[in-house]
Amino acid sequence: MADVQDIIRERAAALLSSGEVSAVIGWGVGRFDDVRFPLVVKRAEDAGKLVFDASCVQMTAKRLLEHTGDGKVALVARGCESRAVNRFIADHQLTRDQVYVIGVPCPGMVDPATGETLKRCAECQVRNPVVHDELVGDPVPEPKPYRFAEVDRVEAMSREERRAFFDEMYGKCIRCYACRNACPCCTCRECFVEQDKVGWQGKAFNVNEARYYGMIRAFHTGDRCIECGECERACPMGLPLMVIMHQQVRDIDKLFGPYEGGGLTDSGPDPLRTYKTDDIEEFM
Amino acid sequence: MLLKKAKAGALLDAIAAKERLFVPADDRGTSRFVAYGAGVEPRFDLLNTKLPPKDLLFPATETLYRWSRDGADLAIDSAFAETDPFTVFGLRPCDMASVDRLDAVFLTKGYVDEFYQAKREAATFVAATCAHPGRACFCDSIAASPHEAPTADVLLEDAGEEWVVTPQTEKGASAVEAWKPYLEEGDAEPIKAACDLKVDMAAVPEKLKGMFDDPIWSDIGDQCLTCGTCTFVCPTCYCFNIDQDVREDEGKRFRCWDSCMFTDYTAMAGGHNPRASKESRVRQRFMHKLTYFNDRYDMNLCVGCGRCMRDCPAAVDISLIIDRIAASEPAQEKEAMAHA
Repeated sequence: MADVQDIIRERAAALLSSGEVSAVIGWGVGRFDDVRFPLVVKRAEDAGKLVFDASCVQMTAKRLLEHTGDGKVALVARGCESRAVNRFIADHQLTRDQVYVIGVPCPGMVDPATGETLKRCAECQVRNPVVHDELVGDPVPEPKPYRFAEVDRVEAMSREERRAFFDEMYGKCIRCYACRNACPCCTCRECFVEQDKVGWQGKAFNVNEARYYGMIRAFHTGDRCIECGECERACPMGLPLMVIMHQQVRDIDKLFGPYEGGGLTDSGPDPLRTYKTDDIEEFM
Repeated sequence: MLLKKAKAGALLDAIAAKERLFVPADDRGTSRFVAYGAGVEPRFDLLNTKLPPKDLLFPATETLYRWSRDGADLAIDSAFAETDPFTVFGLRPCDMASVDRLDAVFLTKGYVDEFYQAKREAATFVAATCAHPGRACFCDSIAASPHEAPTADVLLEDAGEEWVVTPQTEKGASAVEAWKPYLEEGDAEPIKAACDLKVDMAAVPEKLKGMFDDPIWSDIGDQCLTCGTCTFVCPTCYCFNIDQDVREDEGKRFRCWDSCMFTDYTAMAGGHNPRASKESRVRQRFMHKLTYFNDRYDMNLCVGCGRCMRDCPAAVDISLIIDRIAASEPAQEKEAMAHA
C-alpha cells in the first residue's frame, strides 16, 4: 500500500496547493507505530503526514460535515467512507460538488490489538468506493462475506437468553455517545438525547437508560445504516452494536426488499421513509 | 513482610469475610473494580482497569434526596447514608493519585461533600506498584511514581512472585495486623522499571495561560469526536450534573457523571451555548487538566494512567498534546515575532 500512500500524499498536496479543496481528510500516525487517527490536512506542506496502510481503523467520513462550510473538501474514501458520502448526499447534509472523493480500494484493515482483520472489515460488503472523483490503486475483489452470523446466533436464542444478551450489552454501556458521534447516519443538529426540556433520555446511568438510548438510535438509523461498523469499532466498551444494525438490514430486505444496506446510491432507497402510493399496505 | 501472590486468594477471602472488598477483575469483556466473591478472579496482572475506581467514591449515579407529597404535606428525605468499611485491593499508583485529586475537590477549599466523605472514610486503599509500566503509562513524569503510592493505606511493592507489604497509615497498620496469618517474614527486592513514555510538564501550566486562542485546539477538535469516552474512563474527571426523576407524587434528585465533551454540558437557559464548538470543548478539557486545576489545587489533574489515549475512538493522545504545548513558543514571544 506504500504506492497508494505516496499517490494520496501527492494528490492531497496538489489539491491543496491549487486551491481546489480547503482540506483533505485521511489518517495520521499517532505516538505508537500502530496508532492511526483521523487527520484533517489543510496545508499542502502537511500532506506528507497522511498515511494509508492496514492500520487505518477509523471510518473518517463524519469529519466532512465539519469542514464543508470552508469550501470543497477532499476525503480519502474506501468503500465505507464512499457509502457515507452517498449517505450524506441522500440525507441532504452536503451536495456532491462539496466533496472531492479520492477513492481507495480497500484490502481490509487489521485490528492492532489482535493482529486479525478488523471486525467491521471482515463483514464488509463494499470494499471498492461506490463514488469517487479519482481512484488510487487497483480495484480489489469483493468477497461479500456472510455478515449475519451474530444475528443468527442471537435469533436462535431463547427469549430469556436474548434478554440476558441485551442486558449484558447495555449493562456495559457508559453512554459516551461515541457510536452516535462516529455514525454517518447520526446527523441531527440536535439529538433526542440532548432535548433536555422534552426529557426523552434520562441522565441517570443504568441499563434501562442505556437500552432506551441504544434502541432509539438503532430505529432512527435503521434503514439508512451503511454497515460501516464504525459505531461498534468506536465503542470503548466493546458492545456488539452491529448485531442490531445487521438484524434491521436483513429484516428490511425480507419485508421491503431487495435491500442491501444504505449508502449504495446517493438517493436511497431508504425503505422505511419512502412513500409510494402503490405501497402494499392498504392504509397508504 | 511479604505476601506471596499465589496465596493472595486466602487473604482476599479473609478480608471479604469481614467487609466489602473490591479487586481489579474482568467484567463482561472489559475490566473494572468489582466486588470480590464467588466466581471473581482478581486480575492483578492488569496494569490498570478499563474503568477507573472512581465510582467507588463517586458513583456514576447517586441519589441525593427523595421527596413525596400527600395532599398538602410534602416530605423530603436525604438519601445520605453512612458507608460500611470496605477495602480496595490492588489499585495502581496512578489511581491512588487520582483519589488524591478527588479528595481535593470533594473535601477541601471550604466545602465537604458528605456523600463523598462517607465513602472515603470507609475506604481502605491497598495500592500495588507497577513492576513494568505499560506503553501508555506516563505517571512518573506527571503525577506519581509507578513504584510508590504515598497516600495509600497499604503499599504492595511488586517483587515478582510476591509483594513487599508496607502499611503507610494507621488504618493500613491495623489492616496489615489482621493479615498476619497470610503474610511471611522476609524481604524481597521490588522490581522498578520506569515508564518509557515521558512528558515534560514543567512549563505547561504557565504556557497554557497564553494559549487560549492557539491553533492547537482546532487541530485537536478536527480529530476528536467529542464523545464522552475520555471523561468517563478518566480516574480524575469529576464533573457531574444534577437531575431528577419525578413521578406523580414522589420523586428523587440525583447527581450523575457529566462530560465537558457534550454540547449540553454548557447549554444555557434560552439556548445560548458558550462552548458550542468542538474546539472550545476540547480546549476546556485540556485547560482544566493541565492548568486550571493546578491553579486551584497545585497539582495536575492528569495522573498519566493512559486510559484516555488507549480508549479514545479517534486516538486523541494527551501525551502528544502536552508535547506540543511544551514545545510551543510563549504567547508574548509569538506576538513579538509577528511584529518583528
